[in-house]
Amino acid sequence: MNMTVRNITEVEFGSDLPAFTPDNSLANVRVLCGAAGWDSPRFTDHDAARELGLAGAIVPGIMSQGFLAAMIHSWAPVARIERIDTVFRAPVLVDEPLSITATVTDIDEDVLRVELDLTVSNAKGETRVFGTAKLLFDA
Amino acid sequence: MDDIEAIKAQYLNHEFETRTFAVEAESLAAFARACGETLSRYVDPADADFQATPTWPSSLARGGNLPAGFPTFGGVSLDGGKDVEPLAPIRPGMTLTGRSHVHDIYAKSGRSGRMIFVISRMVLTDDDGTVVSNADTRLVIRENSAKK
Repeated sequence: MNMTVRNITEVEFGSDLPAFTPDNSLANVRVLCGAAGWDSPRFTDHDAARELGLAGAIVPGIMSQGFLAAMIHSWAPVARIERIDTVFRAPVLVDEPLSITATVTDIDEDVLRVELDLTVSNAKGETRVFGTAKLLFDA
Repeated sequence: MDDIEAIKAQYLNHEFETRTFAVEAESLAAFARACGETLSRYVDPADADFQATPTWPSSLARGGNLPAGFPTFGGVSLDGGKDVEPLAPIRPGMTLTGRSHVHDIYAKSGRSGRMIFVISRMVLTDDDGTVVSNADTRLVIRENSAKK
């Protein structure tokens, strides 16, 4: 797999995108929540989240989705995300190691579109978020 | 058990909320950096092509966004996902208008009963009325007939 692609002819069917390490530290989650105006303590305070019955502070779903988009942009900086659909299957914990992946599942060179399957998994390998994305390349 | 078809007939595609959003450069850049973006067009407000990341509209479409009086199905609605369709660049200085409607309602059944899925769509338009993004929130409700 190429570390970056600039043309759809460089995309390989079935390949995985290069590894991308998301920063889901409490400090970074607080930055995102501040920027987005999402101030719920379940995202920004471990103790407050535990009082709500959670295992700890959780990463907002919009951040997991944002990690996946950033991974795509790192790999295909000239492509445009046409659509990105993410399913929040279970909570993603703040400060817990995460693994995010994307796999090429379709390439349509006629319309210059590539489709990806996406996942966010925890340290136990449990899928917490999954989804799909469609990208458009320039001719 | 609520009749999904009847609820669809009552609520589907009726606009229930309109909100406006001022687009600010520093907020866009901070959001992008926190997500791990490194491309200049997303993280550097001085870039000539600076714009919001494609997923930024998801932050405007918060969970629980449903019409007044919408059935609870006896449960609590959870944010089950986000689906974004970016259609045009969103840039600082714009004032966006977000109009929300219920886009779809469906149920899935399992051993523990029905799960109700409600797709709440926010259509974002720019100052000229051009649609710049569709941002869907997938709300999930575990039906509890005893609490309705």
